[in-house]
Amino acid sequence: MLLAVVQPFPEGSQPADAELMERILQRDAGALETLYDRYGRPVYSLVLRIAQHPSSAEEIVQDVFMQLWRSADRFQISRGPLEPWLFTMARNRALDFLRLKREKQRRREDSSDSEVVPSMIARPDPEGAIDRSRRAEKVRSLMSSLPDSQRRALELAYFEGMSHSEIAESMGEALGTVKSWIRGGLMRLRDSLEEASS
Amino acid sequence: MDCEQLNPLYEEYALGILEGEERAEMEAHLARACPQCMPGVAKARFVVAQLALAAPEMQPPAALRGKIMDAAKSSANTAVAIPVAIPVAKPSAPRTLFPVWAWIAAAALALVTGYTIRQMGNQNAQLAELRKQMRLATLQSQALQNQIEQGRMVASVMMSPDSKSLKLMPTKDKNMPMVHAYLHPHMGVAITADEMPAVSPGRTLQLWFVPKNGMPVSAAIFRPGASGQIALVAPVTVPMDQIAALAVTEEPAGGSPQPTSAIAWMAQVN
Repeated sequence: MLLAVVQPFPEGSQPADAELMERILQRDAGALETLYDRYGRPVYSLVLRIAQHPSSAEEIVQDVFMQLWRSADRFQISRGPLEPWLFTMARNRALDFLRLKREKQRRREDSSDSEVVPSMIARPDPEGAIDRSRRAEKVRSLMSSLPDSQRRALELAYFEGMSHSEIAESMGEALGTVKSWIRGGLMRLRDSLEEASS
Repeated sequence: MDCEQLNPLYEEYALGILEGEERAEMEAHLARACPQCMPGVAKARFVVAQLALAAPEMQPPAALRGKIMDAAKSSANTAVAIPVAIPVAKPSAPRTLFPVWAWIAAAALALVTGYTIRQMGNQNAQLAELRKQMRLATLQSQALQNQIEQGRMVASVMMSPDSKSLKLMPTKDKNMPMVHAYLHPHMGVAITADEMPAVSPGRTLQLWFVPKNGMPVSAAIFRPGASGQIALVAPVTVPMDQIAALAVTEEPAGGSPQPTSAIAWMAQVN
């Protein structure tokens, strides 16, 4: 029921993700282009939020889509839809970059980054992104409804890849409290998305 | 922990933040392809992925699309029982000439001594039995730890988006179960199967990487568990892009340097 919500394109309008992945297996660059147009923006937004570094974000996004191009056979629709797979891959890549950057900072080898993060651009959603836009609204609304500390704990876990104990230390809170915030937040997210799909 | 107890933890697992015993329990369920937890974690991966949409929406640089398209166009891997030797003391008594009272006293002393020795012998036997039980418990505990660790590794490979999923189909008897393989360039190759037939004593199953060029390379030697399940991870010793197929053959116990029997399960890789 929940997974049904990620079929953003009704049959007959635009090619489904699975079909585009099949075409990528046939080395159809046009299919990759279509997938980039569909997911490039949310993937870039996610990666930039984690990496906080535009040129690095660009490299990571390029790496993610090239991985999609080279290893399309690793994606199987039977194991779930493309979007969460793509977002998970992008998050992992960006978090790897972040950990490496932190390690360099610890070694005092990091050079300062003077790049300016581009301003937020509000652009009308293309037809295909309406469903995602609705889910994004749901997720943002849920996040803003959470108490500041709970939202911050969730953000540190998702966007910075921190463990419970790292979050507890960073926020100066008890480990048990942090665990309870994160579990509670995730359960609310699950319920909210289930409501949206029922 | 049962599936009901694990249910509220699916999202934390998908987020990669679950630790310790809870994570081990979750991975043990996933390693045996738990029919409740597998779909539960799949849904949780979707739920957690939605947090990506909480990131402020940004427009990627226009040039990025072109860079990706240019790049795309130009690009065309047993526990052993330890026998325990228990030393047994065998006391002996020297014979000498004594008066009757001395014989009686000696006999009484001998009875007491004999009783004491027998009691000590019993205690030694009990102690030895306790030691044996402790060793068995230790071995069982180690085996369980190994099983949990193996399950954790299998689950990690299975759930990684970077893993390539393969189905090794039976080549001889089509009624045989298929073997699932998950190839990950760094974490290794995970193999799982259910309801596998028992392997004859003195024989073993062997997994092979079949390279595009050259001879097959042994990946792992394994036997199905008592319930016919297989769950193991072996290192990938052949470059991923050089693996043409994965194959399983039945070999003499201890494995063979090269396959000696016909392929029993196989999947094309590249």
